[in-house]
Amino acid sequence: MSYIHVEGLCKHFDIRLKREKGSLIRGKKRVQALQDVSFDVEQGELVGYIGPNGAGKSTTVKILSGILTPDEGTVTVGGRVPWKERKAHVRRIGVVFGQRMQLWWDVPIADSFELLKEIWHIPDNAYHKRLAELAEALRLEDLLRTPLRQLSLGQRMRAELCGSLLHSPELLFLDEPTIGLDAVTKLALRDFLLWENREHHTTILLTTHDMEDIAALCSRVMVLGRGQKLYDGQLSELLSRYDTQRILTVRYDRMPVLPELPAPVSAVAENETLRLTCRTADLDMDTLLPLLQQAGTIRELIVQPQNIDHLIAAMYQEMGL
Amino acid sequence: MQTIRLYGKSMAMLIRSQLQYPASFLMQTLAQLVMEGGEMLAVILLVQRFDHLNQWTAGNLYFFFGLMAVSFYITECFGRGITGAFPSMVRTGQLDTLLLRPRGVLTQVLCSAVDPRRITCIAVGIVSLVLGSRLSAIRWSFPKILLLLESIFCSFWLILGLFMIEAVLCIYSVKSVELANTLTYGGRSACQYPVDTYPRTLRILFTVVAPFALVMHIPASHILDKPLFAWPAWTAFVTPLAGFVLFGVMYLLFTSAMQHYRSAGN
Amino acid sequence: MNAYYAVFRLRRRLETQYRGAVIGGLICQVFFGLILIALYRALYAGKPQMLPFSHVATYVWLQQAFFRMLLASDAELMDKVRTGGIAYDLCRPMNLYGFYYARILAQKLTGCLLRAAPMLLFAALLPEGWGISLPVSLPALLWALAAWVLGLFCVSALENITMAFTMRTLDPRGMQAMMNLLMMILAGNVLPLTLFPDSWQPVLTALPHAQLLDAPIRIYTGEYALSQAGLILLRQAGWTAALICTGMLFWRRNQRRLVIQGG
Repeated sequence: MSYIHVEGLCKHFDIRLKREKGSLIRGKKRVQALQDVSFDVEQGELVGYIGPNGAGKSTTVKILSGILTPDEGTVTVGGRVPWKERKAHVRRIGVVFGQRMQLWWDVPIADSFELLKEIWHIPDNAYHKRLAELAEALRLEDLLRTPLRQLSLGQRMRAELCGSLLHSPELLFLDEPTIGLDAVTKLALRDFLLWENREHHTTILLTTHDMEDIAALCSRVMVLGRGQKLYDGQLSELLSRYDTQRILTVRYDRMPVLPELPAPVSAVAENETLRLTCRTADLDMDTLLPLLQQAGTIRELIVQPQNIDHLIAAMYQEMGL
Repeated sequence: MQTIRLYGKSMAMLIRSQLQYPASFLMQTLAQLVMEGGEMLAVILLVQRFDHLNQWTAGNLYFFFGLMAVSFYITECFGRGITGAFPSMVRTGQLDTLLLRPRGVLTQVLCSAVDPRRITCIAVGIVSLVLGSRLSAIRWSFPKILLLLESIFCSFWLILGLFMIEAVLCIYSVKSVELANTLTYGGRSACQYPVDTYPRTLRILFTVVAPFALVMHIPASHILDKPLFAWPAWTAFVTPLAGFVLFGVMYLLFTSAMQHYRSAGN
Repeated sequence: MNAYYAVFRLRRRLETQYRGAVIGGLICQVFFGLILIALYRALYAGKPQMLPFSHVATYVWLQQAFFRMLLASDAELMDKVRTGGIAYDLCRPMNLYGFYYARILAQKLTGCLLRAAPMLLFAALLPEGWGISLPVSLPALLWALAAWVLGLFCVSALENITMAFTMRTLDPRGMQAMMNLLMMILAGNVLPLTLFPDSWQPVLTALPHAQLLDAPIRIYTGEYALSQAGLILLRQAGWTAALICTGMLFWRRNQRRLVIQGG
């Protein structure tokens, strides 16, 4: 059996409505957060879990980590049912919520780690070895004596990650881990996650809105929408379905004379630069190139696929999300 | 044992972090002193005007007041996770974080906050206890000291249990927090005077529902050698256990509320 | 003037939304009232006083009913002060003092009216010796009402000063707790001012805190004779004017400081 096995998972929430004028009791609205979701994840896999807001990503993570009990369906993680054996289960998992801190605000992060060691019953040896390893990989060595509140957002995120990994979990859930981080920190964090996955064979499930994270880390993605699983497979394959547009940027040495272009290609001129957008199928370089050359002397020509965020937006739109 | 160790370590860290802001800490501690001092002043002024309350002399009343102050503020100090911090833990989702750790939820809630500012309130209570003991000319003996300590210890669990009502309501996302306050803060205000002050309904309330009378007043009346009821002396050692009973009931309710939390989600 | 009225209306709507909390608070307040009266009854039984007991019971119920008037409970405003969000308000094209005065007044007024009516009704239904008594005379009631309105103006001015004052401290919680406490004691909520030692009375009743509820209640019960009422209202008005002037001064100075800080 797979490491994570999810079958027929259903979960609904009752949302209490505002009381109507005149009635005494507030009404309820039933929201189906998850509808018959099934998937399997093997040990050591790095899986991206994407979908628009409210798709049910967090609900899945909460069920898998034992915080929530589902209405229906079977879930086992490493042979255990998360919500039935909460303490035994959480001992082996790590969870990082991008916007929620578990470290203590006013004390040096090393002190927070000491307390986490106590909470998780980590033996001395294992703790010191693991802390040294993580501190090096996350470049935290010089910050261990600094109170959390004095750290920058990126440093804080790294400290959080370190805290969540101290007990060497075999499964790691990351909920929007790179939210609000600068480019350098983001790259460092991705490197670290790849390292952790390679070095310790840690299974990682990542939910994010940052498609670059997914592209850099996960070969497999699952798309969730309105509580249902819509796609499960390679990221490249998913993208190729929606990757139907190309953008041509042509820079001339002076203002170009706008050429007559075939109908499906649209063009916008801006000073010396001409920007063309067209569907991949209509992109006929043999016809286009001479036309473009007539317009002036070309200094630079770039052909780009569309931004990954646009692809996902197109996908969501097609799926009616 | 491990739980106590964890609690000790958590407390040490929380207190260290509060001392990071010494000025604010001092100011708030002082405010607490003035607050509890004000409460005591009210008792003193009443005693000035009325001399006594039923058979209780001024000294007796200070003793009752001190017992309540010490017990109540020890609870607010060490039980801060339940008495103050819990609603915001539910609101901000901090409770989820606790569920992700291999420890009991209530243990972790209690480990997550402490309120050392209450120390001045406890001090006022101790002063009042000493004053009351002097004025009442209590003949202290070993069993009496034991009884006093037992009463304070059981009161801690009683008051913690009462505050857990609010916590349970909070998990079910009921917003009428004020209602829960009637038993906690209302109980404190009422039961800083002996229970025989009040009419029957209130007496029953404070004996059966929120058993302050069993946990505080019966032992205190024995210490003062003016037993509330003509029961044998050993009963004074038994009645405070009602505090544990109440806490036990609330603990069960808390556990089932957590089950609800985990199945209803948020 | 219209802008102030709009602020006022908005606050009122917000206040009336939390019906559950209001009912819960009401029950809590009634409970506290009953406990206090039971205590004073027991004390009176031991040693009767000059002041008739019905006055004490009436005092307690009126204090409980208008309890909301005393407490500074605008958490949102406090947060604004602490987090610096108040800077946005400073940009509004209106007199800040007036803006906050309207806000505080609205909150206190709606907070009171919602709670006072059911509470007083309940207190009136209680048996003799537990409940509230009728005012000593109709003119006394009218004078008391006027005194209450003045008290409301006075307490809003007082709270506005506290607000301006806390803007200067980094962490207003300690300060606010202290101010609230002082208010509860000096206004007669913890212990009716009438039960304080007789020798303290001249000082206590002259303080601004006694103008809020104590003065109207004593007119209501007849402890202050009608012939004194005019003088009392004058004292209230005097304090209100003085407090408003002080508050305006504080706010103006704060505003200047904030502008400099904001750069």
